[in-house]
Amino acid sequence: MDARVELEQLRKTFVQTVRRGLRRERREIVAVDGVSLAVPAGQSVAFIGPNGAGKSTTIKMLTGILLPTSGSARVLGLTPWRDRPALARHIGAVFGQRSQLWYHLPPRDTFEVLARVYDLERAVYARARDTLIERFGLGPFLDVPVRKLSLGQRMRAEIAASLLHAPKVLFLDEPTIGLDVVARQELRDLIREWNREEGMTVFLTSHDAGDIEGVARRVVVINHGRVVLDDKVSAMRRKYLGSKVLSVRFHAPPAAIDLPGAVAVKATEYALKLEVDTRVTPIERVVTAVLRAGPVADIAIEDPPLEEVIAHIYSRGDAPDTGEDDAES
Amino acid sequence: MSAVAKYTWIGLTAARSNLAYAGEAAARTIFLGVILFVFLQLWKVTYAETGAERLGGLTLVEMLWYLAMTECMTLSTPRVAWEVDQDVRSGALAVQLIRPLSYPLYRLSVTLGERAVRFAMSAVVAAVVALTLVGPVPVSARGLACFAAALPLAFVLDFLAYFLIGLGAFWFEDTTGLTLIYSRVTMILGGMLLPIELFPDALRHVARALPFALVMYGPAHLFVRPDAQFASALVAKQAVAVAAFAVAIGLVHRAAMHRLFSNGG
Repeated sequence: MDARVELEQLRKTFVQTVRRGLRRERREIVAVDGVSLAVPAGQSVAFIGPNGAGKSTTIKMLTGILLPTSGSARVLGLTPWRDRPALARHIGAVFGQRSQLWYHLPPRDTFEVLARVYDLERAVYARARDTLIERFGLGPFLDVPVRKLSLGQRMRAEIAASLLHAPKVLFLDEPTIGLDVVARQELRDLIREWNREEGMTVFLTSHDAGDIEGVARRVVVINHGRVVLDDKVSAMRRKYLGSKVLSVRFHAPPAAIDLPGAVAVKATEYALKLEVDTRVTPIERVVTAVLRAGPVADIAIEDPPLEEVIAHIYSRGDAPDTGEDDAES
Repeated sequence: MSAVAKYTWIGLTAARSNLAYAGEAAARTIFLGVILFVFLQLWKVTYAETGAERLGGLTLVEMLWYLAMTECMTLSTPRVAWEVDQDVRSGALAVQLIRPLSYPLYRLSVTLGERAVRFAMSAVVAAVVALTLVGPVPVSARGLACFAAALPLAFVLDFLAYFLIGLGAFWFEDTTGLTLIYSRVTMILGGMLLPIELFPDALRHVARALPFALVMYGPAHLFVRPDAQFASALVAKQAVAVAAFAVAIGLVHRAAMHRLFSNGG
């Protein structure tokens, strides 16, 4: 496996000083506690966890701006904290809450600066810039000062700017924060397309379940500094909640449905919404019971929202599940 | 591309970006006009009361042009320490570190680009005001060349001092106090309000020995009284001060980065 990012028992502790009256106590805070994973070239990984779980600390170590307490990491074959200047030329980063664009100048000017920062040859730069303008639809606002752009336009320009030097690994930290539904979807599509077509490895952190589903194929959940889940996004729901949501509309008021593991979360005279724990009662039995309960006009079986799955994973114990059997590369 | 070309481009971009602040620049120039008018009235009275043609070696015309230059330098000072402080506290510094750039050189380029625009705009207004109020000061090509050599070094030195204060954010809760002290000391001991020839003897010797005069008094004095010997001594002292501050920044920046890499800031 050609791993672009490899972590082996990576650990980071901080010393926190707490004042107790006149005394000062020092205590050790474990931010990252022996994280190991390998991300192959071209894979898109969502690296998620609750606030304070250790995501940012891990990313800081992977970008070379934080030294680990122990363990090792290799990004593109380089040790980030030792080879930061060399690594900087091959990685890109987008921080949703920190802009790299010059606020009073058009995006084109930031591109010109970045071409020089990354020492790009003019022909290489011009080709990359033109491709990004076309693919990200930057043409209409390329010469408009950034301060006059909508947040959606700004983020498109932001991500395009981070791709100008053709990074092999892109770190995205909350890239869609603050965007409206349409702009979020557009941005996710662009990142996903770029990842698939250019073979760039994507390392995404986000609290938005839509980002995870829209961009990543693999999800790594970190909590209390440890990996608690490493699996395909598609497998996460199935394994971790084992529930389905059944929405039914009837032509006439239905009879009562009484099945273990099937809870009516919403009921009107002609409609019913059931949350079914499929580990208790298989979905086929519930569907059969629904069809017997009354004349069905419409029926839909859905997975529970990803937010619910994530919340469930955060709230359970720390026992890791690496899902190695079916993790895709 | 050479590092010089890279950072020069960043400086030029910062200069263009600063042209967007037309409103702020206009407000500064209005203030400049008012303050020069007030100074003129004060110095007219002072010259009349003392009956002297020259004070501290300067005529009334030279005195107003001297003040015009020091005011332009003061009003063009970017908020370097505040920006560095914010970069440290907000974590924006980390974003800069994952690019193939030197953070101190990046900040220096941005500051010089910004300051060049602000100084040029202020200088145009100051020249119009001074010409209107007292007429021209004799300038020569040699004098302007000396001034042009000393002014960038003064700006670099000023940047280094503010940058050093900004790095204090790694250790102190707030660096605004240090910034305020430095700016006020530069105004007083640097000769913004009074040329240091007018200081009492003891204070004059102290002011001449300190780097503050190299930031403001030196270039402004050179503008109104061009002198090759004064210019070469000034540039030499500025070069030594820049080297000393650069070494200090190198050490402090290294300690700050060690702190950042070990503790995350």
